[in-house]
Amino acid sequence: METIKRYLRPEQIRELSLVFLIVVTLIFFGTQIEGYYSGRTFNRITTTVAIIAVVAVGETLVILTRNYDLSVGSIVGFTAYFAGTQLANNNEMAPLAAILLAVGMGAIMGLINGVLVAYGRVPSIIVTLGTLAIFRALLVNYSGAKTVTTDSLPQWLLDLARANLFQVGEFDFRLMVGVALALVVIFQLVITYLPFGRRLYAIGSNPEAARTAGFPTQRIVMTAYVLCGMLSGLAGFMFLARFGNITVVAAQGMELSAIAAVVVGGVNVFGGSGTMIGALLGALMINTLEQSLIRWLQISEFWRDALLGLLILLAVATDAVIINRLRNLWARSGLQARPTSGAQAVEEAGHDA
Amino acid sequence: MTDSKKPVLEIRNIAKRFDTTQALDDVSLDMFPGEIHALLGENGAGKSTLIKIMTGVHQPDQGEIALDGRPIRIGNAVEAQAHGIAAIYQEPMIFPDLSVAENIFISHRDQGVVLRWGKMFRDAEAILAQLGVHLDVRQPARGLTLAAQQAVEIAKAISLKVRVLIMDEPTASLSVHEVTQLFKLAATLREQGVAILFISHRMEEVFEIADRITVLRDGKKISSTPRAGATAEGAIRDMVGRKVEDFFAKSQVRRGDLLLSARGLGKEGVFSDVSFDVYRGEVLGFAGLVGSRRTDVGLALFGVERADAGEITLDGRPVKLHSPDHALQVGIAYATEDRRALGLTMPMSITANISLPMLREYLSRLGLIKRAVEETAAESFRERLAIRAPSVRVEVARLSGGNQQKVMLSKWLNARPHLLILDEPTRGIDVSAKAEVHHMINDLAARGLGIILISSDLPEILAMSDRILVMREGRQMGIFTRAEATQEIILSAAMGQNSGARGSQ
Repeated sequence: METIKRYLRPEQIRELSLVFLIVVTLIFFGTQIEGYYSGRTFNRITTTVAIIAVVAVGETLVILTRNYDLSVGSIVGFTAYFAGTQLANNNEMAPLAAILLAVGMGAIMGLINGVLVAYGRVPSIIVTLGTLAIFRALLVNYSGAKTVTTDSLPQWLLDLARANLFQVGEFDFRLMVGVALALVVIFQLVITYLPFGRRLYAIGSNPEAARTAGFPTQRIVMTAYVLCGMLSGLAGFMFLARFGNITVVAAQGMELSAIAAVVVGGVNVFGGSGTMIGALLGALMINTLEQSLIRWLQISEFWRDALLGLLILLAVATDAVIINRLRNLWARSGLQARPTSGAQAVEEAGHDA
Repeated sequence: MTDSKKPVLEIRNIAKRFDTTQALDDVSLDMFPGEIHALLGENGAGKSTLIKIMTGVHQPDQGEIALDGRPIRIGNAVEAQAHGIAAIYQEPMIFPDLSVAENIFISHRDQGVVLRWGKMFRDAEAILAQLGVHLDVRQPARGLTLAAQQAVEIAKAISLKVRVLIMDEPTASLSVHEVTQLFKLAATLREQGVAILFISHRMEEVFEIADRITVLRDGKKISSTPRAGATAEGAIRDMVGRKVEDFFAKSQVRRGDLLLSARGLGKEGVFSDVSFDVYRGEVLGFAGLVGSRRTDVGLALFGVERADAGEITLDGRPVKLHSPDHALQVGIAYATEDRRALGLTMPMSITANISLPMLREYLSRLGLIKRAVEETAAESFRERLAIRAPSVRVEVARLSGGNQQKVMLSKWLNARPHLLILDEPTRGIDVSAKAEVHHMINDLAARGLGIILISSDLPEILAMSDRILVMREGRQMGIFTRAEATQEIILSAAMGQNSGARGSQ
């Protein structure tokens, strides 16, 4: 038990239990819905998750620093439309150029958020609530309420959405899903092994101490926003490739899905803890549940937001109750050593209990 | 060992002024490698300002700091760190979500491009072992005891090759056992040639650990003595020193009936066994240093932080004070120490602030606030306390500190209390406003109010109180009558030096 406690932290238990819950969900709906384990279900869930997961990775970077980005949905929508019109006007444009265009536009939007939050000292929830509306309004204005249509886009883009990495039986592993997974892994490594990543945790964990320790706090927070914007821009490009038809309401409300994924995945909304793997699992959990419920109960998509809201509340509630319980359990064990000899530590731990 | 003849850090003729207060005035201090240098002084003597200058939070107006004989500039925390100067505080600055090892190494600039977790864990273990501390370096710092957190901070300082370590009241929140552990760590550092500046309010600790004792008073260095030549009495005398300024002494009022009586008041882990009586027309002073928990007793009487032991009787009847609302109903008001955060609503008018606790009395039958009645009441206080403001509709934020204080007093007097608890009523206000507040305290006592005056200003307590209750770390050290109290006796009791006469109940 002590060895388990030493190498397994409460936060990791949470991720493992999420995997368990996803499996349970899959098994449950497998018994309820005919033809549930089909290539179609798999495809629908994984491609949706791929886009949400890319946004969720960016959102995690921001939330780790004890900030929020509510504007990601608008950034995805805007960049999708922006890249779409550019490609429609110029079908000869190189694929890489189109991707860079979307990512660059996202970076600019992230930079606006980041500067206002980090240097303007405006609370992030206000800043990004403002840019959520502004970016969306820019899209409406820019588009003139027109729609990017599938047939105006170059063929390679439409092929890209259906490009497979590999295939197992009837299950297709799309290139886009591969890209999303790669990003999750890369950014997981970034936050684990790069000083920049560790400082994201430090800032969110104790902003006051981070300042006293002399970190360039403002620059780090701004960078998190820029990265979040770039990832949202990439997600916008993926969105364009997947749907082809882009209207002014494209990706509206995606911030809710992304934040829900992050929170359900165990990233602390008060900053300082959480992982990219967790955010991915959160996105997977939510989308599996969502898609399955829509098919099972035939509930309307309008209930989807209510479901997301409920999941967020549940996740926060379990965070408050279960994770704290686990932490206490960990703290009460002998591992919570004090700068004393072992015997005294046990004795003192007894006093505290 | 290093040559201990040459100081590692010299503080030369530092001066620093904030608005009207000269926080530091021509202070010089030498710190030698392998020496523990204790810094003593009353609240407000300038210790914190000195630390902040040494760590780059403030810049001195005059004077310089020299490292190894060369003047240096300390612009911020990072520069202080680069010079090998680090500080640990009563409340350690840790990152609760990061592991112990990460907390130790988080400030390092030379971690390389990629973090090597295995190496970091091993290095952290090595440093902790060197200190004789047993901690799991992989566990998050969340949930560590304060002592363990401080050990982590010390380990961090060592990993940064600290040469000057400032310990700002590190023992204030520690148990006796933990203090012993901390002192072992300090001794280890001393052997390794670190210069330590040690700040504590506990005399016995200072004399146990320090090699040299320097006393600050009112921003000036009064004395600097090797421990061999120092005595507790001498240090206290140096700390008090100043003559009692011209205070408005409390006039003798005939003591009225017993108003409030507390017996064995306690709150788990905060204070215990506090017993006292307050009579009508009497000012009972609460003296003590930072961390003496005087304010907590005051808050317990006002029902903010409920006491969990002991009994309180008011006018002979037992009362349980469970909320400020209830306390106000039975006639107890509390004017807080922190008027900005707790006492006043800055963007609201004088009127609105004064009527706030008693808003119920100003409601019309429809439940609306009767503005005219409210303003008449506020107007009467403005005259009575000479609040200098163009109108009672002015926002409180625009008044001077002294006038804000008067608004706050009006607010609580408006509740017509029998017992008024004043927590640091004159902190941060100028001399004339201070005199007016003292005059008012006198006036209120003459009208038969019982007053508890909590103050860190010893001369004020001595001048204004009929009796003085001294606290130290949550314990009552004694109650002294006006006749037997002197600055030395009060301060000795507050610092746990029972050389003075033990007061009578």
